[in-house]
Amino acid sequence: MTRIDASAFLGRWPFRPIEGTVAGLTRMMRANDISHTLVSPFEGLFYADPEPANEELLRQIARRRNPSRRPAGKLWAAPILNLRIADWREQVKALARNPQVRAVLVAPTFHGYEVSACGEAARVAASHGLALMVQVRLEDERHHSPILDLPAASVKEIVSVAASVPKARIVISAARLVEVLQVAPRASRLGNLWFGISHFDGLECIQRACQAVGAKRLLFSTSWPFFYAKSGVLKVEEAEVAVPWRGAVFGDNARRAFALK
Amino acid sequence: MIIDFHAHPGYGKDIATLREEFPPAARAAERCGVRWICLNAIADWSESPNPKAVREGNDAVLSLMASYPDRVLGFCYVNPRYPAQALKEIDRCVVGEGMAGIKLWVACKASDRRVDAIARRAAQLGVPILQHAWYVRRGGLRGESVPADVAAMAKRHPRTMIVMAHLTGAGERGLRDIAPYPNLHVDISGGEPEAGMVELAVKLLGAERVLFGTDTPIRSYGATLGKVLEADLTGGERELILFGNARRLLRRRLGR
Repeated sequence: MTRIDASAFLGRWPFRPIEGTVAGLTRMMRANDISHTLVSPFEGLFYADPEPANEELLRQIARRRNPSRRPAGKLWAAPILNLRIADWREQVKALARNPQVRAVLVAPTFHGYEVSACGEAARVAASHGLALMVQVRLEDERHHSPILDLPAASVKEIVSVAASVPKARIVISAARLVEVLQVAPRASRLGNLWFGISHFDGLECIQRACQAVGAKRLLFSTSWPFFYAKSGVLKVEEAEVAVPWRGAVFGDNARRAFALK
Repeated sequence: MIIDFHAHPGYGKDIATLREEFPPAARAAERCGVRWICLNAIADWSESPNPKAVREGNDAVLSLMASYPDRVLGFCYVNPRYPAQALKEIDRCVVGEGMAGIKLWVACKASDRRVDAIARRAAQLGVPILQHAWYVRRGGLRGESVPADVAAMAKRHPRTMIVMAHLTGAGERGLRDIAPYPNLHVDISGGEPEAGMVELAVKLLGAERVLFGTDTPIRSYGATLGKVLEADLTGGERELILFGNARRLLRRRLGR
């Protein structure tokens, strides 16, 4: 069963001593039998202009592709956009030329704009064949540093964005199960919307999400190195769901969401 | 074998609902290789439940102990704001019915003197106390303990075995608060599976003071088990966390 991790990070998280390196990510993928990972740079969340962080991410992925030292597993890039940067559309256009880029990630609360602005980003990303990932949160709100005391992005508003741009492929990253359940009636009718499961938790969380929005709408994701990746794997493995559903969550859905071959 | 040191039967407030809610947890535990589930019902989930609500919650756990004799170990929840009733309830549930431990939540802080009689009774009976704690950066409940409160309790009661719940909520500061007290442990339940926390707990406390617990149904078995299986530990450390330490603390109930 193919496992595609729909969200991991490289770089340093500034509020805890954790760092995502290519070597660490490779070890994690091997240990968890993950064949592909969509990866974004932590620094892109914090730099005013994420472009240098994206450049570094793409350099690291390109270096890893050197056949002489190519390890198991494949990395795809999901660079980060700040929609308050005037030339973000040009950035999308340039990023789309890189065959390693399958999506762009926006983080409205980190960069200080309304979720509704993601509609235009979804249209532009779709016009270049890329999926749009919208980061709801990363850290448990109870643990925020005073200088990063951010609310979560509204999942309800992201669903509205997806409904308004049916040609775009939109992935909601790091929503909690309760937030998904609240939007389930509408979200389950949208064929262009997926949810990463990294922040789902609670007894039967995967079963409940499958029942609420359908197994086709869920993507296996780890939020590594922020979270232990094995926690994401075991959530899906322990779920009392049909084997085809498990396969859909682990990999089949991601192929559609990110147009992976 | 794995022992889940920290679980709840469900979100319900009465025996019937809790009995209905528990079977999925038992199935999930079995799929993850969990042999024993230490169950506590926090009465009606109010911060300071009255003695009647406390008894009803414990009755639900007793009922599940009877239905799952080879799977469920009961923990007796008590409210220290009702000291006499708390001791009476401990005698009813631990001495009389064979519950394996005592649970304290957020009725008052662990450093409160009203907890002393309960801690002394736990030591006399040779059963552990599971005490909630969290360093909440915003919000938080009036009687909610922080790890420093639990450390104060452990210092006053060195013969009482205490397990502080919620490693992720404690964070590095909480671990340093409790490190000087060898009778004080931490469980890994609750919170998100933030990488590195289990290794940090082992580094600061030693593996013999870290226990596996889920806080189910609030958290899932898979997510919590993943914390231990991915953490950079030796096989021996992993075994201590998953069952060795719990078996030692529960020896009165499980034997040696």
